[in-house]
Parts: sequence; structure tokens; C-alpha cells
Amino acid sequence: MTAAPAMENPRRAPKWITGALLVAGIILLVVLPLVIGSTNFVRLLFLTLLWVTTSIAWNLLGGFAGQVSFGFAVFYGVGAYTTALAINGKINPFLAFVMGAVAAAIISVLLGLPTFRLRGPYFAIATIGISEAVRVVMTNVGFTGGASGYRILEARPFEQFEHYFTALALAIIALVVSAKIADAKFGLGLKAIRQDEDAAADVGVNPFTNKLAVHAIAAALTGAAGGVFARYAAFIHPNGVFGFQTGVHILLMPVIGGIATVWGPVVGGFVFGIVEEEIVASFPQIHLLLYGSLLILIIMFEPGGILGGVREVIRRYRGRKH
Amino acid sequence: MTLTDFASLLVSALLLAGIYSIMSVGMTVIYGVMKIVNLAHAGFMMLGAYFAWEMYARFNIDPILAALLAFPVMFVIGGAVHWVLVRRLPHSDEPTLQSLLLMFGLWLLLQNIGYLIWGNTDRSIFTPRTLSVVHVGPIAISTVRLVVFGVAIACLVLLEVVVNYTWFGRSLRALIQNRYAGLIVGVYEDATAGLTFGLGIGFAGLAGGLLASLYSFDPDFGRAFLIRAFVIIVLGGLDSISGVALGALVLALVETFSILFVPAGYQLAISFGLLVVVLIVLPGGIASLLAKMRRVA
Repeated sequence: MTAAPAMENPRRAPKWITGALLVAGIILLVVLPLVIGSTNFVRLLFLTLLWVTTSIAWNLLGGFAGQVSFGFAVFYGVGAYTTALAINGKINPFLAFVMGAVAAAIISVLLGLPTFRLRGPYFAIATIGISEAVRVVMTNVGFTGGASGYRILEARPFEQFEHYFTALALAIIALVVSAKIADAKFGLGLKAIRQDEDAAADVGVNPFTNKLAVHAIAAALTGAAGGVFARYAAFIHPNGVFGFQTGVHILLMPVIGGIATVWGPVVGGFVFGIVEEEIVASFPQIHLLLYGSLLILIIMFEPGGILGGVREVIRRYRGRKH
Repeated sequence: MTLTDFASLLVSALLLAGIYSIMSVGMTVIYGVMKIVNLAHAGFMMLGAYFAWEMYARFNIDPILAALLAFPVMFVIGGAVHWVLVRRLPHSDEPTLQSLLLMFGLWLLLQNIGYLIWGNTDRSIFTPRTLSVVHVGPIAISTVRLVVFGVAIACLVLLEVVVNYTWFGRSLRALIQNRYAGLIVGVYEDATAGLTFGLGIGFAGLAGGLLASLYSFDPDFGRAFLIRAFVIIVLGGLDSISGVALGALVLALVETFSILFVPAGYQLAISFGLLVVVLIVLPGGIASLLAKMRRVA
């Protein structure tokens, strides 16, 4: 029992493997776009990285803390609109992203204060209501152009790589935050809340404040992603960034990849990003069918998602060898 | 506002409450027996609406009759869905996220099937009845709404009879009140749950068919109604069938009379916002509020 490595979760891959994979992945993501360089390829990677960021963010609340939310489009939208307004107000775009993140975090606290009194599925249902209410309000308010959308004017040339590396940096930040939380006491507290709120409260974990905190962190990351997207797209409208569909996408990715793990949402984000931008572009008629059946299959057969499935395969393979 | 205006609004709220209760009652029975929040309800409502439309467009069957025909068809589909998917979910006394996500996936699936078959153009059912109006004194009432209201109420009464006076209804009530006690006295859970799921989906189809006579619809039809159904069943106390009528009446009154104070564009935001408020302030529904008031008094 004295040796620390023996205490490690046997389901986890050894540290040096994850570390090497991470470094290789980042190098690949830096080099590949520079080598290939086609605008379309960089765009695909850019959007995928934004999806990965939101996927990781959703998993903080939905995976680690077990609070399923259909309402992350609210934070994506708030981040996008805040950034858009700030950039049009001649504020440095990177400061604008931070403002978007902060605004989303503030909104998340305001929404969390009442809704975190609800548990599990009731919280999930309330988030559907909130998301739709916010979208309806945003299609009606005047100062952001309502339903006709909002245009961002930046007085400098469009640099695709600048956008791309912003998204890459954001995704890495999100991954680091997620990994740190998973290892920290805070993460353990969230895990306790996921398993049993009352028991967590009994051992001194305040479910309410912990949920508020992780909600704010997740919202900030989602809001920043919304901001980066808004600057790239230069045009946003409520039915896009605030759309129910956006919230659905953000929820689907971690579920596909593997909920409540550090790497699951990353895998889910990449799979989803590539499927959404490439396959769906070729078969737009069946994308909901694809996601719907995937969701049903995952829930029925492999609640661990892709990552859980891969782990299962590895465990069986090892089991046979011994 | 004149008295006539007030009476008109009151009547239209009442008519709205009828259709609202029929669209929520299916969710309530499913929640009551299986503790599943049926997000796919919206998808089945959409199928019901298209069923009524197809019947009307192809065979020239009266849309109201077609909505009634949608019930048995959707009943069978619901039973099949229960047999294939829902039956395999682990039992629970509380709604699980697993069931929530499963039903959500099913909803996405149904929506896409809708898009594949019917495309994304808005459809509507237009009959001579659509624009006709009945005058009761100074109040004008839309005929089609009146008919829909009548059918909805008749079906609710029928459901009430089935629930109260048949063997199936007794099993259903037993499972709603206490699943374990029900199992001990020999309620055949699988069959009852399957029939209940069919019943719930059947009512979703019926409600969709009836709504098709009132509103235009596309494959995404039902999302706004789904959220309204949530408000209603929470107001009604989640698993109470008679509570549904009360919840529907409250929501219909709020929606109808809010037109006086809030611009119409924000109308949907009211019902969505109400969902959150009701969930937080009145998690036990109106019944718990009444009980609390009685205790205070």
C-alpha cells in the first residue's frame, strides 16, 4: 500500500502515455494546419476545437457533477454577443473574449441560484425552459438586432491562423482546467455530489456552492468559445448561437465520447466536429437521425461512450492474455 | 377592457386549456407509472399531426376523425417502443438521467424521420371549418377550437373512466401510488407499463392530430408544446391525472391574459419562464400549495 502507483486507478492509462499522446496531439494540431494550409481544413479544425472546448466545459457540470443541462447555448450565446458588442466598441478582441467569459459566468450564477435547488432531471427540464426563454427574448430585443442578427466589424484583415490558434489555446486551457479539477479535492467533491447529494452534504461538501462554482467555470469556457466563434463568423443571430440545437450539440459530444472522464469529451468533441462539419455537410438529411440513434445506442449499450467502449475492449484483451 | 373582451379571453383560455390538458395527460401517465420524463412526447405529437394531415390530404378523412384514428396507431407504436427500448431501462423511483437522454435521443430520431418524409415546409390543415365562427351572444368562438375542445374533454372523461373502472386502470393507479406494494399484490408490471406507455404515446398522437387542426406544423413541431406540457404536469403535481386539467387551465389563463401586458413576441418566453418559476416555487404542484394554505389557515 505504500507504493503510490499501486493506488492508481488501474483503468487509467499510465501517466507517460497520456502525456506523450497530449504532446503529440498538440504538435500535430500546430503543425498539420501549417503544412496542409487549405482554408477549408483549417476551418474544420477551428470549429472542431471550439466544439471540443464546449464539450469539455459541459462535462465539468454534466459529467463530473452529474447535472445534465440542455441550456449551454445560453452561455455560448452570451459569450458570443458580449464579445461582439465589445469588439464593435473597439475593445481588443482578446480582452473581449475574457469579457464574454466573465459575462457568461455571471449569467450562470444568476441562473444557478434558483435552478440548483432542483435535482437531476428537474434541473435538466428547467434548463430547457431557460434556454428557450432566453432565445425568444434575444430574438425580440432591439439593441442586438433581434432576430435579424448582429454583425461584427473589425478594422483589420482576416487572419485565419490567428483565429485557429486562439481556438487551440482555448481548447488547451479547457483541457488543463478539466484535468486539474478531476485531480483536485474540488473534483472529488463534485464526484460525491454526482453519486449522492445528501451523502456529499453529510461529509461536508456543500452541493449548492460547488455546483454554482463548477457551473460558472463551465459557463466561462463556453462563453469564451462563443466569443471566439463570433469573431470568426463576424455575424451571429439568436437562432444560431442561442439555438436549442447548439445546446443539444454541446450535450451530445461528451455523451458520445464518454461522460465524467477527462478525455471522453475531447474524443467526443473531435468525433462530433468532424462528423458535423464533414459527414453532415454531405448528408444533411440524416444528421439528427445519426445523433439520435447514437444517443440511444450509447445509453442502452455503452453508457461510458466511445472511451468507455475502448476501455472495455482493452480490458477484455488484457483479461484474455493473463 | 370591456366585459365582452374579458369574456372572450376567458372562453378562449378555457378552450385552450382543453387541448393543453389532452397533450399533457400522456406525459403524466407515463411519468406516474414509470417515472420517465418523456422528452420524445413532442416527436410523437409531431407524428400525430402528420398522420392527421396525411389522412386528410390523401383520403379526405375529416381531420378530427383522423386525430382520433391516430390514437390506436400511436398506441401500437408506443407499445413497440416500450417493448424495444424503455423496458430495458433499469427501474427507478426517481426519473433517471439515462431515461431522460434515451427519450431525448428518440425525439431527435423522430424529428429526423419527420424531415426525411415530409421535408421542412410548414403544413397546415385547412377545412371549411377552419375559418367558421359560432356566435354566442356578443362572443365569437372559433368552431374548430370548440370541436377540438369537445373531443379533448370527451377523451379525458373516457380516460378517467378507464383509469377508475377497469382492471388495467386499477393496476395503473397501483403502480403510480406505490410500485412495490403493487408488485406484492400481484400487479403485472411489464404489461401494465407497456400498456401505459402505449396509452401515453396514443394521447400524444391524438393531441398532435388535434393541434394540427389549429396550428401549422413542421417536424420540429411540438418543442414549444413540450415545454408547456412540462409546466402543466408540474403544476398538476406530476402524476395526478385530474391535476393535469387544473394545470392546463392555469397555464391557459396565464398565457391568454398575458397578452394584455406583454408584447406577443415574448409570449413563448412567458410559458418557458413559467416552467422554471413553477419548478422552483411549486415543485409539488397546485395541490401542495392548497395543502400548505390549509395548514397555515
